[in-house]
Amino acid sequence: MDVDVDGLTLTLGGRPVLDGVSLHAQPGEIYGLLGPNGAGKSTTLSVITGLRRAASGQVSVVGHDPAREALALHREIGVLPERSGFYDWMDAPDYLAWFAQLYGRRLTGPEITAELAQVGLDGRNRRAIGTYSQGMRQRLGLARALLHRPRLLILDEPTNGLDPRGRREVHNLLLERSRQDGVGILLCTHLLDDVERLCTRIGILHQGRTVFEGALSELATASNEGESYRLHLRTEPPAVPLPPGVELLAWQGEWARIKLDGTRPPEDVWRGLLAARWPIAEIHQEAGGLETLYLRMTQKEEGPA
Amino acid sequence: MRRRLLLVPVLLLCAAMSALAAEPLEITLAPDGANPASPQMGEHLQFGSVIRNTGGVSLHGIVAWISMVRMDPGQEQPMDLEDWSAHKAVTRATLAPDGAITVNWPMRLIQAGDFRVVISAVTRDSQRIVTSPFLDFHVRPKPVVESSRILPVAFGMPLLIGGLLAFRMRGRILRR
Amino acid sequence: MNPILLIARKESRELLGSGRGLAWLLALSAVLSVLGLLFVSNTELSLLDNAQVVTMELGTITALGALLAVVLGSDAIAGERERATLIPLLLSPARRTDIVLGKMGNQLVGWLVMYLIGLPYLWAVGSSGQNLAQACAYLALFGTPLVLGFGFLAQGLSSRAAAVRSALVPSLLALILLGGPVMLGPSFRQSAIGSWLDRVNPFAAAINSFDSVVIDSQSLSAQLARLAIVLIWLAATAAFARSSATSMNV
Repeated sequence: MDVDVDGLTLTLGGRPVLDGVSLHAQPGEIYGLLGPNGAGKSTTLSVITGLRRAASGQVSVVGHDPAREALALHREIGVLPERSGFYDWMDAPDYLAWFAQLYGRRLTGPEITAELAQVGLDGRNRRAIGTYSQGMRQRLGLARALLHRPRLLILDEPTNGLDPRGRREVHNLLLERSRQDGVGILLCTHLLDDVERLCTRIGILHQGRTVFEGALSELATASNEGESYRLHLRTEPPAVPLPPGVELLAWQGEWARIKLDGTRPPEDVWRGLLAARWPIAEIHQEAGGLETLYLRMTQKEEGPA
Repeated sequence: MRRRLLLVPVLLLCAAMSALAAEPLEITLAPDGANPASPQMGEHLQFGSVIRNTGGVSLHGIVAWISMVRMDPGQEQPMDLEDWSAHKAVTRATLAPDGAITVNWPMRLIQAGDFRVVISAVTRDSQRIVTSPFLDFHVRPKPVVESSRILPVAFGMPLLIGGLLAFRMRGRILRR
Repeated sequence: MNPILLIARKESRELLGSGRGLAWLLALSAVLSVLGLLFVSNTELSLLDNAQVVTMELGTITALGALLAVVLGSDAIAGERERATLIPLLLSPARRTDIVLGKMGNQLVGWLVMYLIGLPYLWAVGSSGQNLAQACAYLALFGTPLVLGFGFLAQGLSSRAAAVRSALVPSLLALILLGGPVMLGPSFRQSAIGSWLDRVNPFAAAINSFDSVVIDSQSLSAQLARLAIVLIWLAATAAFARSSATSMNV
């Protein structure tokens, strides 16, 4: 595992902030960490990166215990915090060169230019960082995180402040790093588009706990409170009432859209329909968009509004 | 004609004697007993004067003041007592016959060198100035800050650092 | 390169190369210039004995150096926290101790710069008088531990403070409390409280040593007790700053 977290708890200012966080990221995969504001995402990241100590729980990041082996851990991870500052009086090449030296790397001019170019910054630009836009600062932060060729990238809102083209460029960079170099990525973001495009697995935090962890496709099942399906029928169905818990939403030619209320497993419903001589040729689930599923999952944990 | 010519010097002599007799002021000047024997720059001196009406009639509108000159060879000049003393003159509306004014003249020694002080006085009706005897004194020097060294450093250092700052800011603006 | 040296070098570049750092040095130099001009233009000051002027200049350079040290120290950690540059630093392979020691190294550079700025002024006021060489030497000997001590105190507070202001205010207060009594008249300093303060106050130890050496031409052996006070001050404040590595919060 790149990241192996179980049962993390932490109290800050007398208030429980983490109350059973678990997440498990495989080596080389892109793992999305989601959750509403105040769910504990940033606090979880601070424990994972060794900035804070948990009250209890097991944490292992690229084989290191962040509480005891922080220095060794920092050599193997690259982090882009949500709010990342720079020495505004420096220019980007100077800044990267200086930061690289902290990792024991002495970068030549062409190497610095290449590091900046990969994130879309011009290495010949000697303007002070203080004059940079938010998007440029975000790119520079990404370059800093990638400087020492880490095994694992931990990114908190990496596309903050980027325009759509910039976001796409960052996505491509992260996908390239993951696929070609086998770099694992722990991505903490509010942007569900980013999650859908990049992540193979996600974890959802809510009120300091993990409420879901798994593949995106599993999220639809986990949040199942009534799913929609499209049934392809060979002929017209018989004129019999639908079984309980099944609602006909619409007819679209040979396709019937139905909704299950979730009281019975879908397989039982299909068996019942077939027994009632429904001429079903194909069954397709209409999964809700990720946003819908996410909101449903976090609302489920809060209970009915 | 010869008699008239002989009369002129006699008349002139009478006029002079008459003028001398119209200024019945006597001024003394002496150093204070507490003055340091060998005063140095920055120290204080005090002089005392007595201005006496030696005539038979009252004198009116008396003004007496202290003056000082520098006597170092080649640097002789009158001194502006602005920084030396705040008490540079005394006045009296009337001084009766045989009456006297006692005055102290305090002084801060601002410069080193040889100096001469004198007290002068006039009355409303006087025809000429009356002075005390001169009083000479020497002020020893002491090492103080020299402006020839201070000025280049006081202006030069901020200019140097300010120039460096301006160079940095200009470089930053150009890079934008 | 060693992270301590890397951080110290970066901080020093900021002091000497950034607009903010140079502006501070310009302001401190301007204060020394104004004092120098007063020495020649003000009647009372122009009559001061040369040795007295040199002593005053030493005290001023030391006080300004301490002010710069307090400003640098207060900003050292709390400023990085406010500007969000602390977390990237903590996530690098630099240990917290390295960061603290690197910042303390910058304090030394700051004082060295202040010392070098002060030397021409010392020469200007003291070149025609006595004990100028001793004045320069004692400014280094007593001024260094005194000024660094204020810087380390401020840095230790900076590690524990949420904002720069929260470290700057108590540090300035300490500077005023220790420096203020030295400026008071002899009648206070001869009182029971005043003479006790004079004996334990590192600022007073430094100023009194300047006095003794430049004006009275005393030797080093007569200053050893005062030297011990400033060295104890340095050691205590350095330990305080060093201990802040473990209490450095994100």
